[in-house]
Amino acid sequence: MKKTLIALVLMLAMTTTASAERKELHILSGNDMHAAIECFPRLGFIADSLRALYPDLLILSAGDNRSGDPLNDMYEIPAYPMVVLMNQVGFDATTLGNHEFDSAQEGLARLIDLSAFPTLCSNVHPDPKWNMHLKPYTKFFKNGLTIGVIGVVQLGSMGLPESHPARMTEISFTDPLETVKQYEFLRKECDVVILLSHLGYDTDVEFSKDLPWVDMIIGGHTHTQLKGGEMHNNVFITQNVNRLKQITHSTVVVEDGKVISRTAENIAVRGEKNENKVIGELVRYFSENPAFHRVLATAETPFEDKEELGCLMVDAYVAETGADLSYQNSGGVRYETHEAGDFTVADVLRLDPFQNDAVELHVTGKEVSEMLIACYNNDNQRFPYVGGMKAEFTVDPATQKIKKLMLFDKDGKKLNLKKTYKVISNSYSVAVSPTNRKDQGESLGIITAKLIMDYLEHQGKVNYQGRRCLKQL
Amino acid sequence: MKLKVNRKYIDVFEGAEVRHALLSYFAWKGLDVKLVDTLTVYDNTGHEIDLNAPASQHEVVKFKLPKSETSKTKK
Repeated sequence: MKKTLIALVLMLAMTTTASAERKELHILSGNDMHAAIECFPRLGFIADSLRALYPDLLILSAGDNRSGDPLNDMYEIPAYPMVVLMNQVGFDATTLGNHEFDSAQEGLARLIDLSAFPTLCSNVHPDPKWNMHLKPYTKFFKNGLTIGVIGVVQLGSMGLPESHPARMTEISFTDPLETVKQYEFLRKECDVVILLSHLGYDTDVEFSKDLPWVDMIIGGHTHTQLKGGEMHNNVFITQNVNRLKQITHSTVVVEDGKVISRTAENIAVRGEKNENKVIGELVRYFSENPAFHRVLATAETPFEDKEELGCLMVDAYVAETGADLSYQNSGGVRYETHEAGDFTVADVLRLDPFQNDAVELHVTGKEVSEMLIACYNNDNQRFPYVGGMKAEFTVDPATQKIKKLMLFDKDGKKLNLKKTYKVISNSYSVAVSPTNRKDQGESLGIITAKLIMDYLEHQGKVNYQGRRCLKQL
Repeated sequence: MKLKVNRKYIDVFEGAEVRHALLSYFAWKGLDVKLVDTLTVYDNTGHEIDLNAPASQHEVVKFKLPKSETSKTKK
């Protein structure tokens, strides 16, 4: 009897132990980091600290790692600093965001090869000629758990991610939801299934209805700040705002092969103390990039006032895009003089530091005139610099409003108010020039600073002494 | 491309960020566009978003002025 009792107690104990087999998966995830390289020393410290507690920490990015800082985006190999820093932090995988395509096909293929982690994106199918080593999904083995991670990127109205279409030729894209559904087999093969999504919050919530076999969606694209994570249709969703203001630490608990709990907390990154010093040194190295001292052109004469520099900028917009006309808000010209001699990459980035995109519009002469007046009104009543044309205007001394504006084309003839012109400006100027025009414009997916750099390189020598594009009567 | 800022529909260029929609909104209303960088912005579900969020992904955005700026505009 006594033996039977002991055996029963032992069996019960064994059963209890077996049923309580509990494993935790810890994930550190970011999204839309947009080249916030200055946050990486802190991110490295957070990753090190969590790894000390959870050696099998999984670190994931939901895409848009690049495009946001010229230190990264204009490196000799564009976006190379972010790859190095992500390698150093120990990222396990990323998916593609639409901005990864800003590197164009060959650039992106090169970055993927330089990454010490896989790039996962199930609905992107590059032509083999690009040698782009993408994987639709991968499996990780952490803390005795098998984790399947599938990547997916958003497609815009053209059926392409939101980047310049020329950077995506000979890459085909398939419907995100239908594509992801093909990987349902991972449910049987994995303890935890994660969708690494650059689809946006609303789409993640919508997809959760159709993907009940997914445990978690680590999202990006809409820059939506969630408090930890949210459960929708029994799928756990996380996302943060951009540029590493915060990241998410998620904990997935698996008991007897079943996910029983998913929780998450936000961790502040930007502006916080404690840094990984090695990564800090790497960031310092990238910030002192000698390539930024590269000479683009020689200024034969000094630039002696802001208008001469403004004329240089608007000339660049016209010359580098084949536009008829251009304009640039005065407030966006960030210094007033430049000595004769070298004009470097750093000089351009100081002149035009805001990372504004170039925007193309097709508008009539009348609409151009209305936009320029709106820009004047919203830029502290300073008239914008104009390219491909000259502006003469009078100002009411009492109200400082524009009383009369005349625009002349490059031949000195009055601008045809009915003719449609191709106009380039920067995204800020266009945004502060709201009018009831037919065409609101389209971003070219290139920053105006790059147009200025290209213009200077193509010119070799520039001379803007005495150049005027505005005349206040 | 249109999106609704508070209660007003705003036209923005293709590829715009939420920042550009807010700049246009402020410009239309004759408000100081410099305030845009001080705003806290929310999507239609009430989640905070940042100014660099793609405008194409947000049909509706709402903003709040910081308290210090609200008192300035009331004056």
